[in-house]
Amino acid sequence: MKILIADDSRVMRQIVTRTLRQAGYEGHDLVEACDGQEAYDKTVSEKPDLVLSDWNMPHMSGVEVLRMLRSNGVQVPFGFVTSEGTPEMRQAAEDAGALFLVTKPFTADTFKDALDPILG
Amino acid sequence: MTTQPTVEDLKVIAEQVWSSYLDVDGTSPLLPVAADKKVIDVTASVSVTGAWRGHVLVSCSEAAGKYVGAALLGIEFDDVAEEDVADALGELANIIGGNVKSLLPEPCALSLPHVHIDGSSGRYPAVTEVCHLDGTWRDESVTVTVLESTTDLAGAKA
Repeated sequence: MKILIADDSRVMRQIVTRTLRQAGYEGHDLVEACDGQEAYDKTVSEKPDLVLSDWNMPHMSGVEVLRMLRSNGVQVPFGFVTSEGTPEMRQAAEDAGALFLVTKPFTADTFKDALDPILG
Repeated sequence: MTTQPTVEDLKVIAEQVWSSYLDVDGTSPLLPVAADKKVIDVTASVSVTGAWRGHVLVSCSEAAGKYVGAALLGIEFDDVAEEDVADALGELANIIGGNVKSLLPEPCALSLPHVHIDGSSGRYPAVTEVCHLDGTWRDESVTVTVLESTTDLAGAKA
């Protein structure tokens, strides 16, 4: 499977990559995006099987990326990995079509719970 | 009455962050006591706007910043570059700020992080300190501070 990791922090992209490995999801093709616009563009061009996206990013927020993808007919499985997890944001994520919202800090077990239904 | 974050909240948040990313094996926790010598070389901050307005700051010594970079990037201390410190401290402020925001009234928005690596903490006019956590990590100083704006958007006193 191809997984797109979208986060404006290189550190966090690395942590997500490491946590995927620790959670047992090895051997997947990983693609990175460093802002919302790039996340949208690479989702369209690279056609990943799953998008793991930060919420708060330059140029376009993660939820704006998701809404634009859905409005253009792209139905890729999409989940948020973000430092904020208020009920309002969870509702907005669900309404936009996200499968899950994982809050930072997270562990390998948190990733397993969210990703096993998709990657397991 | 608005619920304000407390130093106890900051301790809980910091403990979660340290156990997840900075002290995974449990051998070097953040001690909730001020370092012998409080040093601020690097400060990362995020701003909160909306129903509550203010800032969350993470300040530390240069060495602590490099330890954070090494831990988050999974590289050796001596291999941590200045840009790594900026990225790592910015992400730390983002994570801690996001968790602080979850304690605040909605709706609020969190800014992208700003990082000062010149020894200054940045300028935060018209604010009052809500709480702060002085910590020691690997014998280096780390401080988390929550500041609330005292003026409304038009500049009048809140």
